[in-house]
Amino acid sequence: MNSTSMKSSIRGPRGFWLLGGGNISILVNQRGVWAGTFLLCLLVLTALWSLTAGTPALTLAETIGALIGAGEGFNVFMIQELRLPRIVAGILSGAALGVGGCLLQTLARNRLATPGIIGIDDGATAFAVASIVAIPTSLAPPMLALIGAATAAALAFGLGGGGSRGYRFIVVGIAIGALFGALTNFMLARTDIDSANLAYPWTVGSLNARSASTVALLAGCVAICLPIAKILGRDLQLLRFSDAVAVGLGTRVKRTRLAILIVTVCLTAFAVAVAGPVGLVSLAAPEIARHLTGHRGVPVINSAWAGAWIMTAADWVGRTVFAPVEIPVGVITAVIGGPYLLWILLREPRRTA
Amino acid sequence: MDTSTRTSANGLTQTMDISTTPASGQKAARAYPPTELSTKDLSLGYGERKIVDQLSLCIPPGKVTAIVGPNGCGKSTLLAGLARILTPRSGTVLLDGRAISSMSTREVAHKLALLPQDASAPDGLTVEELIQFGRQPYRGLMRQWSAQDAAIVQAALKATQLETLADRPLDALSGGQRQRAWIAMTVAQDTPLLLLDEPTSALDLGHQIEVLELVRKLSNQGKTVIMVIHDLPSACRYADHLIAIHRGAIIAEGKPADIVTEALVERLYGVRCTLLSEPGTGAPLIINPVSIRHEND
Amino acid sequence: MPRHTKRMPLRRTAIACAALVGILMFASMLWGAGSLTVLQSLQALLGRGSEEAIFIVHELRGPRTVLAVLVGLALGASGTIMQSATRNPLAEPGLLGVSAGASFAVVLAIYFGADSVGLHFSIAILGSLAGCFLVLMTTQLRGAGADPVRLVLAGAAFSSILIAVTTLILLHDQRTADEIRFWVIGALGGRPTSNLVWAAPGILGGLVLVAITTPALAALSLGEKVALGLGHRPAFTRLLAMTGVAILVGTATAAAGPIAFAGLIVPYFARRLVGPDVRRALPIAMVLGPSVVLLSDILSRLAVRPYELPIGVVTACIGAPVLIAVVRSHRLPRL
Repeated sequence: MNSTSMKSSIRGPRGFWLLGGGNISILVNQRGVWAGTFLLCLLVLTALWSLTAGTPALTLAETIGALIGAGEGFNVFMIQELRLPRIVAGILSGAALGVGGCLLQTLARNRLATPGIIGIDDGATAFAVASIVAIPTSLAPPMLALIGAATAAALAFGLGGGGSRGYRFIVVGIAIGALFGALTNFMLARTDIDSANLAYPWTVGSLNARSASTVALLAGCVAICLPIAKILGRDLQLLRFSDAVAVGLGTRVKRTRLAILIVTVCLTAFAVAVAGPVGLVSLAAPEIARHLTGHRGVPVINSAWAGAWIMTAADWVGRTVFAPVEIPVGVITAVIGGPYLLWILLREPRRTA
Repeated sequence: MDTSTRTSANGLTQTMDISTTPASGQKAARAYPPTELSTKDLSLGYGERKIVDQLSLCIPPGKVTAIVGPNGCGKSTLLAGLARILTPRSGTVLLDGRAISSMSTREVAHKLALLPQDASAPDGLTVEELIQFGRQPYRGLMRQWSAQDAAIVQAALKATQLETLADRPLDALSGGQRQRAWIAMTVAQDTPLLLLDEPTSALDLGHQIEVLELVRKLSNQGKTVIMVIHDLPSACRYADHLIAIHRGAIIAEGKPADIVTEALVERLYGVRCTLLSEPGTGAPLIINPVSIRHEND
Repeated sequence: MPRHTKRMPLRRTAIACAALVGILMFASMLWGAGSLTVLQSLQALLGRGSEEAIFIVHELRGPRTVLAVLVGLALGASGTIMQSATRNPLAEPGLLGVSAGASFAVVLAIYFGADSVGLHFSIAILGSLAGCFLVLMTTQLRGAGADPVRLVLAGAAFSSILIAVTTLILLHDQRTADEIRFWVIGALGGRPTSNLVWAAPGILGGLVLVAITTPALAALSLGEKVALGLGHRPAFTRLLAMTGVAILVGTATAAAGPIAFAGLIVPYFARRLVGPDVRRALPIAMVLGPSVVLLSDILSRLAVRPYELPIGVVTACIGAPVLIAVVRSHRLPRL
């Protein structure tokens, strides 16, 4: 290939589109775009469907009308004030959990290393419960959830070998999670029944009781962290190799790992603050994203869409299957996600990563 | 001849010639600036153990240097220290006179490429994709791919004769082919220095020769190659300069034909033998080896 | 580099541990969450003192102490055998979902109206057999030995499914919820004394089964191929051993609810004392187990007076650091 003729007809590497050329060039994963579009459509459809469900159930046309403010006043109110916030909360928390799972899996080079398993969920829950029942503090539960998540992550990371050794990280994370879980039970056992009831929603994953301010915090966090995660994506790709290879290619491994951990902790903490500890979203979403996107690159954005979809779908199932009794979304994800996790574990013949 | 021009960070224009006329065995004249890698009183260790103690050496530029020694003597540790994978306890590694620790890891990646012993790649990666990663030190957030990157990747494929295997996943290759792919990645990294840790340990004879001939070819193009290798005969055959390490210290250094003596083999490996000189290359050959390793060795 | 590990002589260690059990049993009778002072408890133990005190010490704490000993015996032994059979130092009935299987089975039984205690025990054993089956399946996988975490994660997944379904049942049926809420937390107090009558033969049977397989398990620790070469049948040995484990865990769970981490803590310390050979570790684990459970029970009574902590909280607080210590040793110990 002659360099003088390259400029006019440069193509990206196989599987990528090249935007720009010359001084600014950006690669876009082709399959990633198709997968993302598919997931986004799926998400929108599921969200719309979920909006129609409930008592009273609306038709699709009525729902879309209500969304844009047309139609009966009551419908508009119900859709916009009652149901839509819940859907939005589900989408945001699902996206946050999906991205967190994707980042942590890549960091630990192990598809089973997710925030829930590493104990970050339990840390967030424990501290949030503490703020309600034990320690009188002026900090709101979401901020304490953040501190709890950070503490659990720091412990798991520090004691677990800095994330470079996947399995050690996971096992220490399980232990930390168990400790914080015991701590939560401890606090709930000590306290009176009223406080315990107040704290209960924090211990089970549910989209029922969430406050608008917390959702706003989550939205802000997602808006900031998602671009950061995408930017980190380049270095993140190199973390999939062994440490020596990554360093040899000029990656600042320690710094990247730390940055990823911080982003994961923030996303997970606020997701738990909104929805409680919903298991397995952070495990399943990156799997789905990776399955659709292929092996090129790290599917950060697609994990967000996949996570959002899982949350929305699970919430819809929980609201409709045993209507009018509402099953918390955490139970649904465990009942469906559990066997899925088992299936991954039992069929995988090779070492993960 | 294929050429692609690039301006390096400090303004020198370099030309990467990748002449591929194997039949004629021509060595292309080439210009990587002579890059010096040296250490001064380097001490390395893991945890409480000190493995390399106060070691000073200087790698001759433009040549193939082999580091040999018995298991556990510290040669892989030394290479890790040279490649800034391992932080030294004390002492410094100097790259072109500058302390390597004072340079950003990216800057170092422009000058030094490393192939670690158990290099692992993510599942499903193809040969060409692996080689593309070699361009990583030159890519930025806003400059993710350029014509030059594409050309260099193609040139690396050609230099390692992997063009027909470019789209195959790494797992589907033979051991020798996989090593060549990893070496191609370091070629795409386009550095004057190349460090290899046991590039042939897991390979059979045919693949070993394949890889070592490629290393020799890269050196002929002007790269400085440092390889840790446990097979003494191969080291002698393909290296210009030999460094023998025993218990974390250098016990002999120089041209293979000069320093590899029966006494050295006995000291390093506990094997008494007779040495012959290989016709054609002058490399020492070991014959009639007898183990004399003592219990308290 | 192999570290030179000190190993204690077997008999002396066993006697020391047995003495510890005796001391803790005594302590268990004396301390509690209520307002009884130590002196009053002592008097009641000897048959003097108020009627209330005598009732508490003899009718409440007494059976509770005996239950703790039995449960400790069962969990200590089952944890040791489980780790030996799976060659995985992270294996334990709670983590791997065996306890969860047993308790879920009982929950189902209560939901479907089964009331007799004996039935609970049998069903619990069936439930823990299901959990053991999962464990056995995971050990058959290629490469599972190289990745001990996968077993733990499979157990965690299994447990989380069962907990979720249990929650579903609780949401659905109030009556079951009331009965289960008490039962599903691992606790030694408040259990009917008839539990002891049913627990003892189950634990005895399980121990016998487990003791039979111990020599074969010791050979298994050398690797499957070596064991085959020595004339053993690894698959059959594992099956037999895990059946013993299922009986032990099922009985213990039916008697006292699911108690996690006990089966992890006990073998860890047993091996630290007398080395990894299961023929030595098992007897020590059997004597150490009651101590661990008794100690946890006493702490659960004292930590949040006048309430009681679920014993699972205490075992988790002890067990989590143990888990971290196991995995931080440079290599995961090969069993």
